[in-house]
Amino acid sequence: MSEATDDLPEATQHRLEELEHGLFTSDLSVNEFLLIKQAGFHPLGFVMGSSIYHTGIQTRRWGQSQELTKLTEAMYNARELAMTRMEEEAAELGADGVVGVRLDVNYYEWGKDAAEFIAVGTAVKAEDGVPRLNKLGKPFTSDLSGQDFWTLLQTGFFPQGLVMGTCVYHIAHRSLGQTLSTTGQNVELPNFTQALYEARELAMTRMQDEATQLGSSGIVGVRLEEKSHQWGSHTIEFLSLGTAVGKSSDEVTLAKPTTIISLDN
Amino acid sequence: MGEPANDLPEAAERRFSAGAFSSGLSVPDFAACLEMGLEPVGFVQGFCAMQWGWYGMSGYQRGMSPYGGTAGGYVENYQCPHGMRSVDHRSWGQNYQQPWVEKAWTDGFASAYSRMLEEATALGADGVVGVVDTFAHLSEEGVVEFHIHGTAVRVQDAPPTVLWPWTTYLAGQRLAKIFEAGYVPVCIVAAISSVRVWAYCVTEYLMSRGGVSAWSMDAEVTEIEQIVSARTAAREIVRAHARGVVGGDALHGVDLAIREREFEQGDLEIECLLRGNRLRRFKDFDPLPPPQPTVRLS
Amino acid sequence: MTNPELPKESPDLKAEVRRAVASLADTPRRGDSTTSDLSIDEELNLHSIGWEPVELVSGVSVFSVPWRVWSWGQGEIEAASAAHAQAFRYAIARIHSEAAGAGGHGVVGVRVERAVHATHIEVSLLGTAVRPIGAVPVAPGEVFVSDLSARDFALLVVSGWQPLGLASGASFVYAPRRAVSAVLQQRTQNVELTNFTEAMYSARETAMARMQETALALKGTGVVEVKVQEGPMPFATHAVAFASWGTVVRLANNVHRHIQPKMVVSLDDPVLLFDAQTLG
Repeated sequence: MSEATDDLPEATQHRLEELEHGLFTSDLSVNEFLLIKQAGFHPLGFVMGSSIYHTGIQTRRWGQSQELTKLTEAMYNARELAMTRMEEEAAELGADGVVGVRLDVNYYEWGKDAAEFIAVGTAVKAEDGVPRLNKLGKPFTSDLSGQDFWTLLQTGFFPQGLVMGTCVYHIAHRSLGQTLSTTGQNVELPNFTQALYEARELAMTRMQDEATQLGSSGIVGVRLEEKSHQWGSHTIEFLSLGTAVGKSSDEVTLAKPTTIISLDN
Repeated sequence: MGEPANDLPEAAERRFSAGAFSSGLSVPDFAACLEMGLEPVGFVQGFCAMQWGWYGMSGYQRGMSPYGGTAGGYVENYQCPHGMRSVDHRSWGQNYQQPWVEKAWTDGFASAYSRMLEEATALGADGVVGVVDTFAHLSEEGVVEFHIHGTAVRVQDAPPTVLWPWTTYLAGQRLAKIFEAGYVPVCIVAAISSVRVWAYCVTEYLMSRGGVSAWSMDAEVTEIEQIVSARTAAREIVRAHARGVVGGDALHGVDLAIREREFEQGDLEIECLLRGNRLRRFKDFDPLPPPQPTVRLS
Repeated sequence: MTNPELPKESPDLKAEVRRAVASLADTPRRGDSTTSDLSIDEELNLHSIGWEPVELVSGVSVFSVPWRVWSWGQGEIEAASAAHAQAFRYAIARIHSEAAGAGGHGVVGVRVERAVHATHIEVSLLGTAVRPIGAVPVAPGEVFVSDLSARDFALLVVSGWQPLGLASGASFVYAPRRAVSAVLQQRTQNVELTNFTEAMYSARETAMARMQETALALKGTGVVEVKVQEGPMPFATHAVAFASWGTVVRLANNVHRHIQPKMVVSLDDPVLLFDAQTLG
């Protein structure tokens, strides 16, 4: 985790103060709002964090497919910064956690080698006043929707944190060229395949390591994203995201679902 | 919607006499029709192409409309506040309704609609459901083709109707809910309003940064009243037209589409098209209890 | 998700349809004509809480922006932020008065359209005015406007909340003067560009704070379904706009009524619906 404490802009302080006076904001839909309440939580405010980070590389024709570790670090740090600032806003509001977290990347024409990494979500607090911070003593984060959050709680589990792993991989030009010279045949591209496989594995392993740090039982809602950002098609970032969960200490009764036939189109 | 003329094209007569029916309904909609006791009897349609020559005339003298805004509709004049006199300075501007455009559109729609009704009547239908209406602008010279089609249905176990067929854009489960809620469809309704804006100097300057700016102040954040008036008027007029044909019935499931054409120097043409289902109550209202909320496990 | 109760068996429905169609031959009952863009499901939802649609209403406004402001400057583009705020305020005032004039107590399902051009900012609102069934008209100041659907409105009312109005906030900002490439030349990789971060961050926060202020002015305790739109201006890419808006709500009687949802497993497969186009 990077150290970016207490560097929230002035505008943020002012906005958070208003929220502490009892006004809540949230981008939850009405459905999600009601389910969050049902789960025993109340929304406190829309929280966000961002950082504009250098993402440029010198394009070189590397002979080998390999991970570009400096870039991996940069991508990870940028998102961590954004997430940390978002968590700080949540902590400022006295939140137990943040739900509906979304990670986005913005590119601007005036910043060709940079991108803005944004994390947004809705900070929530338990209505029974029992704190629910995770193992690291911070508000839990999760990219679960309001519906999934409620459903998860019904199963006796609780979100602990949004976990992610990233890996920026360069696919060597030569390996692609070599294999394409066997034209007219339906062959697997072994080097290419191997490279992608390794990259994805690295991303997922790093994500799992984060979950282990939180002491979780598992990860739900895992998804893998692939982006080339502004680097061209031979360099790809593999990003693996999910919500780490652990057993809840609350009493839980599992209801049996009813089967229905929906009449709506 | 007007007296239909008896001008079914020959091909349509042949298609009907052949006996088999075709239907544009999807499978769930078809099933819903049968549940309602509505038997589809055929696919019906009507076409009409209309032209109005002065629609979109570009070389026209500014400030001289064919009817000069005297047709009894909406008109608003704007005078230059600056007291400047010059060829380039637009000292006078006007917003006006274009009833000739509205009439041409309404006539075209009515013709296509009544041709569709004729086809339905020829099949002995009681109503037409799932109506789809399309308008294609065929060229810049202002030719619009209207095409209205739907599925003609007959009410099972009921005496043949003496009225013109009732029509509705709805089909399927949505139509079933309409009946259950106590409504009966009367007809589809389509209304249009057309408003033209000839910008005067203030509007022209604010919208296009052009025109004489000798008097301009530096930082102007001000409402552009002429445009606001025109847009508000266009929306009011189309709703007034619709209300005029609906009588005491309800207009339901309305779609309001707004199309604007921009010319140079702040001139504008606004067209609002409102379409909906005219419904009538046939039984007293009986509200449902609040629905049960559910969370779906996918 | 809400599902209406299963309808009665078909034989009743067929009889209803026959009765309905036969009634077309009678003289129509006297009724107030209403115009609404709600679907039948939404109308039924409204009725289930004792409300009804009245009239389709709209409100528009266009505010000019002195076009020279878009050339590169520093900090916030105040004229653009002011124009945006004013356009919203005037459009909302107009839809309020149309709704009150039609006898509505609120407007739901409002379609919010905003457009920013080099010379002007325009806002256009369209929705259906609603009222408790048979209620008398109220003053424009008491009408609420909301972009919540009629269905969401009904759900909130059942849970004890009332919508108060639309809150919105926007801020327009220039990207910091020194181009990113100039800054980067002096640094190594893996670094945050703090100037830029600060500028974009502040602008985003300012837009949200302004939205919150509108919410507090309406005496609300919360804003739901907040939408955030951000991005550079197509006609001036170094100018970036942040806008957020949502519906302001307050607990009607200080008590939130919990809904108890049922968990369901639907047995339907997703149906591939095709348009009712022709099979001529």
